Amino acid sequence: MNDGELNKEFFELLCYVLTSARGLMDEPKMYGPFRLVDTASRIISILEKHGIADDFLAEERKKIDEGKYSVMESEEKFKEFLDRIIQDFAEELKKS
Amino acid sequence: MTSFFEVILKRRSIRKFRDQEVEEDKIRKIVEAGIWAPSAGNMQPWVFVVVRNKKNIEKIKAMSPGMFDLPAVIIAVCRDMGLAGNFEENISIFDVAMAAQNMLLMACDLGLGACPVRSFNQKAVQVLLDLPEHIVPELLVTLGYPDESPSPPERRKGVVFLEKYGGDGWF
Ligand SMILES: Cc1cc2nc3c(=O)[nH]c(=O)nc-3n(C[C@H](O)[C@H](O)[C@H](O)COP(=O)(O)O)c2cc1C
Repeated sequence: MNDGELNKEFFELLCYVLTSARGLMDEPKMYGPFRLVDTASRIISILEKHGIADDFLAEERKKIDEGKYSVMESEEKFKEFLDRIIQDFAEELKKS
Repeated sequence: MTSFFEVILKRRSIRKFRDQEVEEDKIRKIVEAGIWAPSAGNMQPWVFVVVRNKKNIEKIKAMSPGMFDLPAVIIAVCRDMGLAGNFEENISIFDVAMAAQNMLLMACDLGLGACPVRSFNQKAVQVLLDLPEHIVPELLVTLGYPDESPSPPERRKGVVFLEKYGGDGWF
């Protein structure tokens, strides 16, 4: 494996994505959306570390990390949380 | 001194840790608490692997989707399938779970944060820890000084009945 920091971070992200894929075959249904939203957070974290994330992404990453565990509380709360994040992204996309 | 019931109520799954080492005597005490768990037929089918090296922890974390931060320590709670015979094979899962619970409570009492993690790839952790085929990692207990104090998730109500299911109950 290449020693570069970015390479290491992406390699670990790939490990995460692949083990998630295997794990989800046996895990509860709601863990699927949870892993995907967590993947989004991890991608933004890498961009942040390398100074590539803009303020919007950094802010959304914080929101994701604050809200993602609502999956343990109720499906309804988790759905509301996801809808809010998606709305933010849609509004940002519209600006471009 | 905190009462035992207070420890039970205070314990939370901690998923965010400070970048701070955990003293060896505390880790030893936690593992010892695990060793003193009950086990079916006193089989004690457990094996614990304590991982403190940061690089090794990062590698385990990469293969553990259920781990969300870098803990200072990971204790791999494993089952020795060689000790778990036909009857014990199923029942021995309780033994390792009870050992893990002892460890979680001990960690809390020592002011540490811990989380039981089951969402990890067992094969990958076997490879990373040089575990032979018959030593199966069942749970990872992550440990460290907490960097969060989550509010207690609600407990389901109506789960305790008196004398028979469906009648009067508590809670
Ligand atoms: C067998 C088992 C497996 C668990 N696996 C994970 C896991 O992979 N990742 C995680 O963050 N929490 C895991 N947990 C922690 C639970 O999410 C947590 O216990 C539950 O939400 C209740 O919160 P509390 O422990 O703070 O009371 C696990 C708990 C148990 C008992």
